[in-house]
Amino acid sequence: MNPTHLVLGVIGADCHSVGNKILDAYFTEAGFHVTNLGVMVSQDEFIDAAVETDAAAILVSSLYGHGEIDCEGLRAKCVERGLDRILLYVGGNLVVGKTPYAEVEKKFLDMGFNRVFGPQVDLAEVVELLRSDIAAAGRK
Amino acid sequence: MTPPAFASVDIGSTYTKGALFALEAGAFRLLARAETPTTVDDLAEGFARVRKQLAAGSGSSTDVPVYLSSSARGGLKIAALGLTADLTLSIARMAAYSAGGKVVRTYAYELSAEEIADLERLRPDIVLFTGGTDGGNSAVVLKNAELLGRSTTDAFILYAGNRKVRDRVLALLDKKAVAAADNVMPEVGTIQIEPAREVIRKIFLERIVDGKGLSAVVREIGRDPWPTPLAVFELAGKIGATQPGWSDFGMIDMGGATTDFYSHTEAFTGGDSVLLRGLHEPLLKRTVEGDLGMRVSAEALWESERTLITSRLAALGRPVEAFDGYIRAVAAAPESRPENPTEEEFDALMAAACVRAAALRHAGTLSKVYTPQGGFYVQRGKDLRRLTRLIGTGGYLSRSTSAGPVLEACAPQSADVDSQPLLPVSPEAYADEGYLIPLTANLAGDFPEEAARTAVAGLRKLKG
Repeated sequence: MNPTHLVLGVIGADCHSVGNKILDAYFTEAGFHVTNLGVMVSQDEFIDAAVETDAAAILVSSLYGHGEIDCEGLRAKCVERGLDRILLYVGGNLVVGKTPYAEVEKKFLDMGFNRVFGPQVDLAEVVELLRSDIAAAGRK
Repeated sequence: MTPPAFASVDIGSTYTKGALFALEAGAFRLLARAETPTTVDDLAEGFARVRKQLAAGSGSSTDVPVYLSSSARGGLKIAALGLTADLTLSIARMAAYSAGGKVVRTYAYELSAEEIADLERLRPDIVLFTGGTDGGNSAVVLKNAELLGRSTTDAFILYAGNRKVRDRVLALLDKKAVAAADNVMPEVGTIQIEPAREVIRKIFLERIVDGKGLSAVVREIGRDPWPTPLAVFELAGKIGATQPGWSDFGMIDMGGATTDFYSHTEAFTGGDSVLLRGLHEPLLKRTVEGDLGMRVSAEALWESERTLITSRLAALGRPVEAFDGYIRAVAAAPESRPENPTEEEFDALMAAACVRAAALRHAGTLSKVYTPQGGFYVQRGKDLRRLTRLIGTGGYLSRSTSAGPVLEACAPQSADVDSQPLLPVSPEAYADEGYLIPLTANLAGDFPEEAARTAVAGLRKLKG
């Protein structure tokens, strides 16, 4: 069976690259085919890569606090570009300051993301959620 | 002992040109030249005339090896089909250009009925069909295969997309002339154009040999001809690889119909605060601009570069109407040469616009990005700033005696301080004075270093 494709990257004008490399290694190890776009990735670059690879999910990282502005409109753009069933995950330090996590989560869920993660998440848990979400979406 | 002699003939769409060389001390020495109008109905006739002239001019026998190139059927028309514009389609275009082809149309995503009709009308020689990484998108790729299979297009279809569905694609296209090559983008951002380029080269060869008397010529000389633009592309690679001081150079081949830009330089050299986004372009790159030309494409040039040309006309104090009239006249009579100083000025202006636009389209950009971690630069496309030499070839630029027209490739673009085109900074300018590049290019397959050395030695350095 072909491995499931994921697209990974750090969105916007954000150059934090260490976590990105860890995620790449972790998801690859977990059996996914990871297309890692690295840092400073635009919405269009995420979508182009997802279209070409037929990815089941786009995993967006944001560490520098401007995630809200960078992620706004990503879901709509995916739908416009034909990715109407793609899973969108986002994680990191998504907003500046000490906003309660529940508020941050709601904000990003409202934006159309399927899962929202804070900076301290167990990656094993993310992989489990990803697998079940992919199965539920009827993807391979 | 007499040094061995070699003849090289290039059958162009207007002229058939030839040169006879002696191979001495690692370079070719020019013994004789010949030129005759191309005999369009039977290419063999013009070829024989050039060969005879070469033999007469040198007093040698006609019995020397002949190397041949041809662009006599107007080049290879390629329609490029990709999935997304910035990834597979962009790479498909790169593959087509580096195989010596001319991209006549591009299509992305699923082909619409309108696009299929357009393709059927356009009748390109090849449809370069790409899309999807290996194991990636198959839905759109298979749909496009089905649509192409049902269409009436008689173009040769070269499939170089997602390898996992190659068999199914070929099955859907079994009524067509079709071949497959490895995926031009096996992973996102990985460029693999060589296999597709090789197939295009073979198709190109079959097409130029087919008919118009060229097959008789090929039988006579016992050697396959090269498509001219491909021969020049290969020569550019050999010059960059073997000639001291020429590892970073550009070449502009400007003709009546198109302007071709070649660059041989590392596309991205990085640095601490520079990040490359998009594709990492190849060391040797060719782009072809079908709307930038001095004659056949004069009207298209006027259309595309109206802002620049209009502002230059104003600076010269020439009325737009006079230029407009000249454009119509030369487009209707592509053989015409300027007959007075005003017309010469107009030609110079057209040349400047062609060179400048071709350079800007070939080059990448560098933009300043402000981030919470400080200022960064983002590069897209190819960095031409390190080019130390620029060659002008083709009719107008070969004849040029000043560096001005070639150095238009370095002209600054906008006043936008946060984004700048990565054009050459201060290269030396050269003219391919004897117009030897296509003729030495023919010899580059068997004698790479010697041909490169000869091409470089035949250049004239231009002063500003």
